[in-house]
Amino acid sequence: MTIEEKVLEIMREVFDMDEISTDASQKNCERWDSLHHLTLASELEDAFDIELEPEEIAEMTDFSRVVALLAAKVK
Amino acid sequence: MTTFVFRNQTVEAFLGYDDVTYSGYDDISMIPSEVDRYIWFYQVSVNADSAQLAQEIQSYSDKLDIVLSGIDSNKPFVIFSLVNLFSVRLTGDETAVGQAIAAFNNHASALAVSHPNVKWVDFTEFTSRYDADTLVNWKYYLLSQTLLNPKLARDFHAWWRRLEGELALQRKKCLILDLDNTLWGGVLGEDGIDGIKLGGDYPGKAFSYWQRSILQLARNGVILAVCSKNNEADVDEAWRQNPFMVLKREHFSSLRINWQDKATNIREIATELNIGLDSMVFVDDNPTERELIKQMLPQVEVPDFPDKPYELMPFFKLLVEKYFRIYAVTSEDRAKTEQYRANAMRKAEQSHFADLESYLYSLDMQLDIIPADEHNLSRISQMTQKTNQFNLTTRRYTEADVHQHLDQGWRVYCMSVSDRFGDNGITAAIFLEPVDDTTINIDSLLLSCRILGKGIEEAFIKTIFNLLRLDGYRQLTADFLPTAKNGQTADFYDRMGMSCDHTDDAGAKHYTMALSNMFEIKNYYNIRVL
Repeated sequence: MTIEEKVLEIMREVFDMDEISTDASQKNCERWDSLHHLTLASELEDAFDIELEPEEIAEMTDFSRVVALLAAKVK
Repeated sequence: MTTFVFRNQTVEAFLGYDDVTYSGYDDISMIPSEVDRYIWFYQVSVNADSAQLAQEIQSYSDKLDIVLSGIDSNKPFVIFSLVNLFSVRLTGDETAVGQAIAAFNNHASALAVSHPNVKWVDFTEFTSRYDADTLVNWKYYLLSQTLLNPKLARDFHAWWRRLEGELALQRKKCLILDLDNTLWGGVLGEDGIDGIKLGGDYPGKAFSYWQRSILQLARNGVILAVCSKNNEADVDEAWRQNPFMVLKREHFSSLRINWQDKATNIREIATELNIGLDSMVFVDDNPTERELIKQMLPQVEVPDFPDKPYELMPFFKLLVEKYFRIYAVTSEDRAKTEQYRANAMRKAEQSHFADLESYLYSLDMQLDIIPADEHNLSRISQMTQKTNQFNLTTRRYTEADVHQHLDQGWRVYCMSVSDRFGDNGITAAIFLEPVDDTTINIDSLLLSCRILGKGIEEAFIKTIFNLLRLDGYRQLTADFLPTAKNGQTADFYDRMGMSCDHTDDAGAKHYTMALSNMFEIKNYYNIRVL
């Protein structure tokens, strides 16, 4: 499973949505509010076995940034 | 169900989003009325100034009171206890925060006692599973005001779901206990009154603690009952003579100490106490008995019993938390035990005796069998008119009819019944019509309901059989004619040893029997044939 696929799966679960597109961002996705954002961060930390810094969590404003951040961390 | 949560931190990750709305942080200015349930879930704030923090915590009690007075008293209000997730004590004797937390928790749990709709949840049941570093995640606290680690959300959901189920559960009313190896160690019938393990050193000590704990349940309104395979006389002696016995006869509202199967006994206890099987918990050390009840009476709760006596303490805690935790006790609850006991005694004189036979003996029954004459003829006629349930043929006879039958050579007897509780008077009658010199037919047989249940009907008919045989009769015929009310007598003649020759379409049964032997009659009846 690629990082993209894994992130999409976690987002679907956290936001409780059947489908989510790779265009998703805090601006265009209603469920992606500040509370769900933290849950998302927490789930990503567990799934990829990493620690996200508060600054990094703040930067994860859309799907592509999340993937880019994780790609850099996981390496 | 919709829920409104009063909170001072971000607890959405724990209590969820579905049908849940949240107050502002430590904001009680708005109390919505259109929700089904309220939850109070506050955390201890983070504040290095402990005096200030203690003051803030003290204000929670007042706020809680304001909220409680502002909500519908019929709606559930769940209050979580406060847990100090992170404490920094600058000096060793700094206790203000701890005292404030304890004061809030005392206040909240007292509200649960005084308000039936309030339930108090001890949050340490959850937090005590984790160490301090796991409980608090400072990164998330500083990002979003949630001291409790959001990574525990999943565990929390599972715990909270189970707890919600328990909160919604109807508390159980009655605890049914086995005796041997359950209320004391060992088997009374084998080890004797002084040989059973109770009191003194371990393991007797564990059973003493266990009995004292159960006594507290009874004092708080839980009804106790005994269901044990034992000789009641032995148990009574143990209750009276073992000095370590805490739970005695007077603490139990219903007793089934006999050799009957326990499912039947428990059904009887439910009937006697007039409570549902679904409000009962059955505790027995024997897994076979537990399995029987699980299979036969699935409504009854049957917890596993601990293998070791020292596990009785946590077992008691489990019983309380799962079935009997009392959120509100009224004086009525406490009196209940006494009422149930009195009712049970009135209902069941039998329960004082080891078995039915000794009960029947103790009644000192006197049966007088009297041929019909001028003195009792009107009573006999009246009984044929009024008796419906124990009446084999339901033939109604006027006094003139009875006279006429006597003139035709019929034998008509009645029976007067008395016991140590009083005289029931003439309460049975039989009409016998001779067919030929050696054959006689039972035309009518009836008994008043109030003397049933003591085997009197059997003693009566068998005495009549013996009389007839002594008078030279060798063959007997009889009928059962069904009505809407006499179903209980449908197999009476079968039970008396008669053979049913045929049953017709209407359900009428026709019997014959050879009077070849005398019948033995139980000796707890004093029978006179006058």
